[in-house]
Amino acid sequence: MIDCREAVGRMWAYLSQGLEAHDVEELEDHLGACQRCCGELEFSRELRERVSQAGAAQVPPTVRDRINELLAHVGQPGDPS
Amino acid sequence: MEAGALMREAAAPPKAGAAFADVVAPHLDALYGYCLRLSNRAADAEDLLQETLLNGLRAHGGLRVKDRLRPWLFTIATNAWRDRQRARARELNTVSLDASDAEEDFSLFATLAIEDPFPYSDELHLDFLRLFRDEDMQAVFAAISPVHRLPLILTAIHGFSCKEAAAILGVPLGTVLSRLHRGRKQLERGLWDYAVQHGLVKVGDDDD
Repeated sequence: MIDCREAVGRMWAYLSQGLEAHDVEELEDHLGACQRCCGELEFSRELRERVSQAGAAQVPPTVRDRINELLAHVGQPGDPS
Repeated sequence: MEAGALMREAAAPPKAGAAFADVVAPHLDALYGYCLRLSNRAADAEDLLQETLLNGLRAHGGLRVKDRLRPWLFTIATNAWRDRQRARARELNTVSLDASDAEEDFSLFATLAIEDPFPYSDELHLDFLRLFRDEDMQAVFAAISPVHRLPLILTAIHGFSCKEAAAILGVPLGTVLSRLHRGRKQLERGLWDYAVQHGLVKVGDDDD
């Protein structure tokens, strides 16, 4: 069975569908027998969720306007070329 | 490249730009968020977003499968950002790809259990994350080296799979996996150091 270090090393890949079926199986076997790593996996989920919240952004309306303005004039008559 | 030069090269049919604006509109928030986390500055993010869209508009005719629009836009943004990085300071080539062993072995989960900053908490690890406002989190995130930050942004924030992230970044899956792991370790270490430095947690306090 893989050890804790190996299991922890695979967790974020596991959460983003980055592991081959065999590697998933090994990790899940380890998790079935190791409460500490279950805690670490749960924390990985929480941390990723927090990163996702903090990392999300919305285009400021002024930026959106400038983008639309820019794109609207590409290929138009009067395009500054 | 100047936006004007890009526009001159565009040679798109009339109203192509306006039509393209409609096509990308559902993805604009995500794309802007990506540009912001890549460049870390709002002004740079806007420049990068503009360049991405102008490059995208020029190449859009070649995109056959329209439902692949999202990863395609992220790929263009990644390439535009890399070109800028190279043009600036060749930062990508000089940044160290190796995290130290100490960093590799650091576990925030274990550190919290050992240091126990909230002795009466039933949700020790969640309470730790709750200490961080969005701007604290963003500051820690911005300090992660760019090569390791990219896979984190794509997977944890934008929900791409590791395979999709590898395609967007143009590197093998194994490279994404090792960078993702190292980025995660830098994030964990960064969060702990930030919490200690900013007094969010008290450690080594033996006066009780």
